[in-house]
Amino acid sequence: MPTDVAVLVQQVAAGDEHAWGQLVERYLPLVCGLIRRHRLHGADADDVSQTVWLRLVEHIGRLREPEALPGWLASTTRNECLRVISQSRRSMPVDPVEHSDFAGAEDPDHIAGLTSAEERQALREALSELPEQRRALLLMLLTDPPATYAEITERLGIPTGSIGPTRARALEQLRGTKAMRALFPPVEPMGVRP
Amino acid sequence: MKKWDDESELMAALGEAVADESAVTDRARTAALAAFTWRTVDEELMELLHDSAMTAGAAVRSTSAARDLVFEVEGASIDIEFSDGVLTGQVSPTEGAVLKLQRPEADDISLTPDSAGFFRLEGVEPGTVRFVLEFADVRAVTPWVRL
Repeated sequence: MPTDVAVLVQQVAAGDEHAWGQLVERYLPLVCGLIRRHRLHGADADDVSQTVWLRLVEHIGRLREPEALPGWLASTTRNECLRVISQSRRSMPVDPVEHSDFAGAEDPDHIAGLTSAEERQALREALSELPEQRRALLLMLLTDPPATYAEITERLGIPTGSIGPTRARALEQLRGTKAMRALFPPVEPMGVRP
Repeated sequence: MKKWDDESELMAALGEAVADESAVTDRARTAALAAFTWRTVDEELMELLHDSAMTAGAAVRSTSAARDLVFEVEGASIDIEFSDGVLTGQVSPTEGAVLKLQRPEADDISLTPDSAGFFRLEGVEPGTVRFVLEFADVRAVTPWVRL
């Protein structure tokens, strides 16, 4: 079970570099994934990521709600991406509107219906809560193209006939993880409130 | 009806979540881990009050590529303009003020404000920086910004 984010934040604020390493590993995909979704690459992407982590070091003792860290990282990353995009637009001799491939022409993370950065973070944490074999099965099915049943049987020792049911059980267990329950708090039954 | 009720929708969302991991580069990881060395405990953190990169809408693009930044904390402020490698600006207070430009992977550069608080530095490369303003017994730092 991964260490609670509030505990890591507290340890980092107290000067624990090992805890910082754990925070970085946990949230790098959130930051780098968002930067890529803004279509920033190379030095621009590196600068944005570096700025976000430096900002976090600076703010870590001031975070009022450590649980809100994924949201803080997502909005800081988005803002830094938009700054870079805005600056390159200003110094660009061509009209970005005519270049539809221009970096960050739209913020894909804000389009309704898509999975948000915070949701993707929660899904990765939910995966890390699963037992090793179930997580490995889901990851094999998530590769592009997905692993074949023969490969799964060979690697994980799950009989072909059990792969479908095991996948279903793994997803059911995933829905019940701490990370998923935090993302979708259970709806209160009708009639509980006066 | 809850999000991802359907198994194939949940698998698709998981696919997106796992795909983010492939965006992580070794350079990003190295810089993120190294950021810890910049942990500070007893400094005043200045607030970024104005940033021209955040106010320029696509419809009102300025012809100037200059970047204007204003940082403030109680009793002190730094105005910055950065254009074509030239950094100019003004600090307040001026009395005994020492201004430094910091980069994550380089030595600090001292900027000496004149008696009116103005300073100028040429040959400044773009990148991630912050400013440190020392006056009296206060040490105020700006948030990290990407010039």
